[in-house]
Amino acid sequence: MAKQTRSKRAGTCKQVTSLITDYLTGTLDPEITNELEHHLGVCPDCVAFLKTYKKTIQVTQSLLLSGNLPELERSKQKALHKSIGSHNERG
Amino acid sequence: MVEAKSVEARSNRQYFTSYEETGELRSSAGESSRERSLVERLKAGDTDAFDAIFHQNVNQVYRRALRLLGNEADAEDVVQEVFLTVHKKAKTFRGAAEFSTWLYRLTVNAALGKLRRQKRSKEVLYDDYLPKFQKDGHHLVRPVVDWSDKVDDRSDQRELQRLLGQALEQLKPMDKAVVVLSDLEGYLDREIGKTLGLSVAAVKTRLHRSRLFLRGKLAVHLGYSPA
Repeated sequence: MAKQTRSKRAGTCKQVTSLITDYLTGTLDPEITNELEHHLGVCPDCVAFLKTYKKTIQVTQSLLLSGNLPELERSKQKALHKSIGSHNERG
Repeated sequence: MVEAKSVEARSNRQYFTSYEETGELRSSAGESSRERSLVERLKAGDTDAFDAIFHQNVNQVYRRALRLLGNEADAEDVVQEVFLTVHKKAKTFRGAAEFSTWLYRLTVNAALGKLRRQKRSKEVLYDDYLPKFQKDGHHLVRPVVDWSDKVDDRSDQRELQRLLGQALEQLKPMDKAVVVLSDLEGYLDREIGKTLGLSVAAVKTRLHRSRLFLRGKLAVHLGYSPA
C-alpha cells in the first residue's frame, strides 16, 4: 500500500490530537472518524485527552458567558452619540 | 458533534447559515422591513435614521467589543469608531441584509486593532502548554490524566475563572478573536475567516492551538502536566 503521506490519518495519539476539532464538529471523513474512534477504543490516554479538551471548551464558554455583560451607560451613549455628531459636522 | 453552545451562540450560527442561503436577515418580517427602511434612509443622509440605528445597535456593538477586549474604555472607543464609520460610509452598502454583517465585521476588526495595540508583554509562549509527543506518536507524558471532573469543584470556581480570564489575555490577539467568535458567539469558521481575513483552515488551526493552550493552563493550575 502506498504510504499516505498527505492524507489524514488517525492511527497515533499525535494524529488524533490534531484531528480533534474536526472530530467534535463532525466534519471528519467517515473513514478517518472510524479510525479515530478505533484508536479511542484502545487508548486511554487519548480518551483522557478528549475529555479534558471538551471540558476546556465548556469552561471557556462558561467563562465568556458568565455574568451579564453590561449595557453601555446611558450617559456614555449620549456622550458618544454627541461626539460622533460633532465629528461629522466638522467633516 | 460540537458541544452545545449558548442560545445566543446557536442563533448566530443559524443566522449566518440562513443569511448565506437566502441573503435575507433571519428575523421577523416586521423587523426586516423596519431595518431595511432605516438603512435606506441612512444611505440618503437621514440623521434621524442614524440616531435610530445607533440606539438600536449600540449595546450589541459594545458588548461584542467588551467580550473581545475585556475592558470598558477600549470597548467604548470601538463603539465610537464603528459608528463614525457607519456614518461616513453608509452609502456604500447595498441593503439591510448586508448591514448587520457589516456592523459585526466593523466591530470585530476595530476590536482586533485595539487588541494588537495592547501591550504584547501579556502574550506567552504557547509551546510550554501544548501537548507533546514521542517519535512514535504516543503522548510524551503518560498516563494522560483525565482532570475534567476536578474542574467542577465549586470551591475553586472564582480562581478558575480568574486563571482562564488571564489565559485568554495571554493569547495572541487574532487567536483570542477566533476563540471569542467561535466558542462564545458561535460563528461559523467561514464567517470568522471572512471577517478576520483568514482561510477556514487557518481559523481551525488557531482555534485548536488556542484551546490546547487553554487546556494546558487549566492542567497546570490543577497540578497536572499539560503534555
